[in-house]
Amino acid sequence: MLKIEVLFPEICNLFGNMYNIKYLEKSVQDIEIIYTSLTDTPKFVDEKVDMIYMAPMTENSQELVIEKLKPYTDKIKELIEQNQLFLVIGNALEIFGKYIENEDGSRIEGLGITNLYAKRDMMHRYNSLFLGKIEDIKIVGFKSQFAMSYGDNSSNYLFDALKGPGINEESKFEGVRINNFMGTYVLGPILVLNPDFTKYFLKLMGIKDINLAYEEEAVSCYKIRLKEFENPETNYD
Amino acid sequence: MIKFYIALYTAKIVRTMLKILGRKATFFPGRVAITICKDFLGKIDKPKQIIGVTGTNGKTTVCNLIIDALNKNNYKVLDNRLGSNIDAGIAAAFISGVNIRNKTKYEIAVLEIDERSSPKVFPYVKPTYLVCTNLFRDSIRRNAHPEFILNIINKNLPVETKLILNADDLISSSLGTTNEKTYFAIDKLDTDKTESDNIINDVRICPKCHAKLKYNYVRYHHIGNAYCPNCGFKSPKPDYAVTKIDFEKNKIAVKRNGNEKFAQKGASLMGEKEYKLISNSIFNIYNEAAVIALLCELGMEEENIQKVFDEENIVGSRYKEEKVNGIKIVSHMAKGQNPIACSCVFDYIRSEKGKKEIILLLFDLFDAKESSENITWLYDCDFEFLNSNDIDKIIIGGPRAQDFYLRLLIAGVPKEKLVFTEEPKETANYLSLDKEKDIYILFELYDEQIANDVRAEVKNRIQNSTKDKTEEQQISGGAN
Repeated sequence: MLKIEVLFPEICNLFGNMYNIKYLEKSVQDIEIIYTSLTDTPKFVDEKVDMIYMAPMTENSQELVIEKLKPYTDKIKELIEQNQLFLVIGNALEIFGKYIENEDGSRIEGLGITNLYAKRDMMHRYNSLFLGKIEDIKIVGFKSQFAMSYGDNSSNYLFDALKGPGINEESKFEGVRINNFMGTYVLGPILVLNPDFTKYFLKLMGIKDINLAYEEEAVSCYKIRLKEFENPETNYD
Repeated sequence: MIKFYIALYTAKIVRTMLKILGRKATFFPGRVAITICKDFLGKIDKPKQIIGVTGTNGKTTVCNLIIDALNKNNYKVLDNRLGSNIDAGIAAAFISGVNIRNKTKYEIAVLEIDERSSPKVFPYVKPTYLVCTNLFRDSIRRNAHPEFILNIINKNLPVETKLILNADDLISSSLGTTNEKTYFAIDKLDTDKTESDNIINDVRICPKCHAKLKYNYVRYHHIGNAYCPNCGFKSPKPDYAVTKIDFEKNKIAVKRNGNEKFAQKGASLMGEKEYKLISNSIFNIYNEAAVIALLCELGMEEENIQKVFDEENIVGSRYKEEKVNGIKIVSHMAKGQNPIACSCVFDYIRSEKGKKEIILLLFDLFDAKESSENITWLYDCDFEFLNSNDIDKIIIGGPRAQDFYLRLLIAGVPKEKLVFTEEPKETANYLSLDKEKDIYILFELYDEQIANDVRAEVKNRIQNSTKDKTEEQQISGGAN
């Protein structure tokens, strides 16, 4: 039985990203999804789960989540050391960084697990297509965000940014990977849009015979999008 | 002031030239004026009373109803309904309303204000009343999430503006800190639930203590009446409540609740009045309630408001229904990239009686030309509502057809009910043209021309298949 813990779905649910989980639910027969709310103790504190997932949220919600997870920072670090699989999407990535800086210079302290920090620019939303690569798998997705992350992730990034930016407009390295902790700004839902990556991801959880839900259709959509994204004429902004 | 007058006269000349060229001149003169004089909106003379209308959905409908009501009651109304709802469109409206000595010819203005434009509008234009219809998720690229929109309106909201707010919407009802507020709402309905069945509900936790909220009833998404079992926080009490909806008689009853404000003005104000129901969709009943609340607050006699609604109908390009040789064809606009608007239309269609076949044309025309559409919104949108026994076939057209196809499969719609084609016009070929099945064409705002072409093709096919005469009958209705 594959156990996936989804953290704080009542507030961490923006931009269609709950369908990463619904897609896994449809693709893996023996799977249990544990939805942990803000008032619960996270399951990972006392129990082994195969994957911990967190989707994007509002800026106010980021503060609630940091406050909630702060007492478990050491536990999260320990789990990452033990190769626990995490997938954190969009600004959920910023929770695990050093701090989030507002336009006025004020800072919200993060969990300090990654060496990145984020800067918000609330009046300028950044939108872009994204084409990246992990090993030999090409990744397609979208970026839509107020904040960008900064700091050196050149030795622990998740995707090479082939087109579209990495963690900020100057970076060619997208996201963070520390052992099996994966965080990325790429929206999609990434697992629906990238069947090869989803298989790669499920293999990390020890699943061998993988038949994704509607795999043929998902692959067809992926190929169309990849062709569009690789087309030099395609506008990325 | 020299800069201001240069801006005003230049804008007036530009406006005249555009008019001569047969253009609408509802945006560009305003942009010219603001470019020359940054605080142009602050300096131009404005009507004494300004009614602003903002919110995610329903702004245009509410504005149109207010303008019609005021016109019918002999007010001289300035508005921006033919133009844009951002700062330049609002400036263009004011420019059209002043003479060369910068004196306005109007006593009242009704302005649709884009919710994101408030930082550019509210420092200079301070509405007497601001109606906020609702705040929902909209385009991810532009509006991000409703908390962001709430914050930017709040940051810029003039303290003297009186707010007309939806008590059933815990996001927009929290607008304003010290502003005077009047709330409208719809009382509990038989169709209400206690748990939202939408993918999106952006008010699941108490805004005060963050415990899980309980809903006395939830209508759709976060619209409903909620309370916090932990700290006692609850939805505001409406000053104007729709207490009855009679779809058969086309009537609604609106009650002014007997709060202190009305008691001070006189007991006669605390009764319940009937109004004509101008549309059978719940979204438009909210719009109607917002307009009634505003007009009452403006001091308009209820009898006069009743007369206004007696002559109103919500029709137009958003919804069009006709029968061709006994087959019902409905065209329904469903704002693309807006998961709430599309979910509402899907919900409306599934609740309509009878078997249906649906043509989906919800792709973004502009992205299709030069980019690749951000399709994250498909996964915030309730395509699951289209997984219904009464929906026999869904035909998807356009460059993103396969993305919609995959989304509908994930929503549980059986493969055999789905067809996709990249060529929108070809969608008509897959209809059964069975008289027992109504045809719904759902189209994105900017795909209207394509939808019209598809509709013509559908009619052609029906006519060719039976060679009978076409009977057209315009009927009003729709989800929004």
